[in-house]
Amino acid sequence: MKRILACLLAALLLLGTAAVAEGTTITYMASQDWVQDAEMELGEKFEQETGIHVDYQIIPSDQYNNMLMNKLNSGECTDIFGSQAGQFDIVTQLNVEKNAVDLSGEAWAETVDPLAFAETSVDGKLYGQPVQDVSAVWAIAYNKKVFEKLELSVPTNYEEFKAVCEAIKADGMTPIYEAVSDGWHHQLWFCELGVAIEHAEPGTAEKLNNNEMGFADSATAAQLVDQIKEMVDLGYWGDDYMSNEYANAAKAIASGECAMTVANQGFPTEINAAFPDFPAEDIGFFVMPLCDNQVLNMNPVGPTRFIYSGSANIDAAKQYLAFIAEPENLQYLIDNVPKFNTLPFTTATDAYSDEISAFYAAYPDHGTVYQTSVKYVNPQWMEIGKELTAVLLGDETTEQMLKNIDRNRADQAAAAQDPAWN
Amino acid sequence: MNKNRMYPTWFIFGALLLYVVLYVLPSVMGIAYSFTDWSVYSQEVHYVGLKNFQTVFSADYNYNRMLGNTFLFTIVTTLAKNVIGLALAVLLTKKVRLLNFHRAVMYLPCVLSALIVGMIFKAVLNPKIGLLNMALRAIGLDVLAKNWLTDSKIAFNSVMAVDIWKGMGYIMTILIAGIMSISPTYYEAAEIDGGNAWQCFRHITLPLLTPTLTVTTVLNVIYGLKVFDTVYALTNGGPGYATEVLYTGVYKEFGLGRYAVGTTLSSIMTVVMLIVGYFMIKHMVQGGGGEA
Repeated sequence: MKRILACLLAALLLLGTAAVAEGTTITYMASQDWVQDAEMELGEKFEQETGIHVDYQIIPSDQYNNMLMNKLNSGECTDIFGSQAGQFDIVTQLNVEKNAVDLSGEAWAETVDPLAFAETSVDGKLYGQPVQDVSAVWAIAYNKKVFEKLELSVPTNYEEFKAVCEAIKADGMTPIYEAVSDGWHHQLWFCELGVAIEHAEPGTAEKLNNNEMGFADSATAAQLVDQIKEMVDLGYWGDDYMSNEYANAAKAIASGECAMTVANQGFPTEINAAFPDFPAEDIGFFVMPLCDNQVLNMNPVGPTRFIYSGSANIDAAKQYLAFIAEPENLQYLIDNVPKFNTLPFTTATDAYSDEISAFYAAYPDHGTVYQTSVKYVNPQWMEIGKELTAVLLGDETTEQMLKNIDRNRADQAAAAQDPAWN
Repeated sequence: MNKNRMYPTWFIFGALLLYVVLYVLPSVMGIAYSFTDWSVYSQEVHYVGLKNFQTVFSADYNYNRMLGNTFLFTIVTTLAKNVIGLALAVLLTKKVRLLNFHRAVMYLPCVLSALIVGMIFKAVLNPKIGLLNMALRAIGLDVLAKNWLTDSKIAFNSVMAVDIWKGMGYIMTILIAGIMSISPTYYEAAEIDGGNAWQCFRHITLPLLTPTLTVTTVLNVIYGLKVFDTVYALTNGGPGYATEVLYTGVYKEFGLGRYAVGTTLSSIMTVVMLIVGYFMIKHMVQGGGGEA
C-alpha cells in the first residue's frame, strides 16, 4: 500500500513538474486594491490564449512601498511590479531607467492618454502602463439622503463643513468614516489639499521643489493639519477611526453608520455593487473644504504597471500588458470595476454618470495634488501618514510634523544628489 | 579510533572560509557602508565620515525612541518569558493529567510564524470587532475594552504581551528540560527533612536551574534586541512612531532607499549586541553558567 502511495505521489510530482515546464508563469506584485477581480479574470483569459500564467502577488497596502523598494534594490523583483507613477518619483524613487523596461515601442504605447504618458515616461520614453482611472479625484462622498433629511447643503468652506459635521453628529451618526489603520488613506486630507496651499500661497510647489521653502514655512499647511486634528478632536471621525479599514467604507456609508468619507468617483457604483439596496445616485461629492478649499484636486498619476528590467520573462510580461491594453479588455475593466469610469487610454470609452459630470463641472478651478507636483512627497506617503497619526494622537505637534516631512524630503533629496539641496 | 590524534590546522580552512565569506565579510562591509552615502539614488558610493551617525543621533531623528523601545521590549519580554516560562515548567513537570497535551498547547504558539501571529492578534485586538473587547463587553467589563493596538499609550504593551504569549512556551520547554535533569534525590532528601514545595523550589530547583535560566536569558535578550517581525506584523511601528524599534527603523530606511542610514542603525545595534553579549558570556563563564 505504501509503495503504491509513494508511486502515486511521485507520478503526481512528475506531472506537476511537466505542467509547470509546459507554460511560462509571470509574477505580478501589486498593492492591495490595485489588481481588480476583473483584471484577474482577464488574466485567466490571457492564460487560455497564450499559455502564460499570471501569478498575482497582492501585498497589504501599508507594507507595499517598503517591500517594493527592498525588492527592487535587492534585485529580486517580480516580472511586473505595480507602483505609483509621477514624473519625479519614477526617476528618483523607482529609477525606472535602470529598473524598468522601455515600453515605447509597444503598439499600445501611443494610445496612452498624453497626461498619463507624461507621468509615466522619462525623456519621452514610456516605462509604465496606467492601471486605474486617473480622472477621478479624492473628494468627500456624502449620503444625499442624510443631507436631505437634515436639510444640509454642500459646504463651501471650513466653517460650513464643521456645521454640517455637527448637525450629523447631533443626529447620532458619525459624520466622517476615516480609515487610519490602512496607513495610506488619512493623509489624503493633507496631500490632496496641496491645491489649497497652492491657492492660498501661489508658487509654493515650485519653491518646495527648488528648496526655497519647506512645508514648515507654509501657514496654510499648518492650518490644514490643525483643522484635520480639530475634526478628530471634535469627534467628527468617530471613535474607531484608528482601527477602521478603507475596505469597510462602503459598508459604513450604506449602513447609515457614517454620512461621509473621502473617496473617488467610483465609490457610488462600488457601494451599489456591494449593497444593491443603496442606489448609486444617493452618493454625491464635494471637494474637501479644509482651508476653505474650492479647487478640484486633480492627479493625473495613479498605480502603474512596470516590467522589471531584471525579469527573465520580459517578452511574456510585454504580452500581458499588450493584452490588457486591447480596447475590448479596457472596456471590460471599465464595465466591471465599479470605481472605474474610464481608463487613461484614447481607445477607452468613459462611463461617467450625469452626477459625476456635474460634480466636475461644479469646480472650475483645478490644481495638481502635491504628491505629484512636489518632489519627495509621494515616496514618503506612508511616513506622512505616520506623522499625521502622531499629531492626531497628540504625540507630535503640527510644527514637528511639517519639519519632519521637510527633513525626510531633504534626506531623500540629498541622497538623490538633487542640485537644489546640494 | 585514536582519540589523541592531531589533525592538521589547515582542516579548519573550509569552515573558516565559509564563516568569513558568509558572516565576517558582510558584517564588516555593513559597518563600512555606514560611513558612506550609499543609497538607491546614486550609482556611486562615497565616503562621508560620521555624517550618517550624526543624522541618526540628531535630535529630530527618532533614534532615541527606537532605542528606548528596543531596550524596553528586551527587558520586559525577557523577564516575563522567563518568569511565566519557569512557572509553567514547574507546573508541567508535576504529575498533571494530560501532561503532554498541556505542554504541546503551551509550546504551540512559538511554532507559528510571527506574521501569522500578528495577523491573528490584529483581528483579536481590534477595538470594535475584536474577540478580546467583545468578550470584555459581553461580561460587563466595558471599561477594560481598549484600543489595544491603536492607542499610542497601550500599543507597545500589547505588542510585548503578544510576543510574551508567543515565546513563553519555547522558554518553558528549555526549562522543563533543565528541571528534568535535576536528580530526584535532592527532592527526596528535602522531603525527608520536611521541606515544603516552596522551599524545594527556592533551594533546589532555582539554584540548579540557574545555568538554564542564563541560557534562556541570553536567548531572549538577543531576540529582544533584534525584534522586528512581531512589531512589523502588529503595528508596523505605529500608531505614529509609538512602537518603532531599531529594526523597523532599519527596514524603513532601506524602504526609503537610504541604505547607508539603515546600515548605520544596524551597525550601532551590532555594537550594542556585542557589548551586551560580551558581558553575558563573561558572566556565564565566570560561574553563572557553570555546572550546578
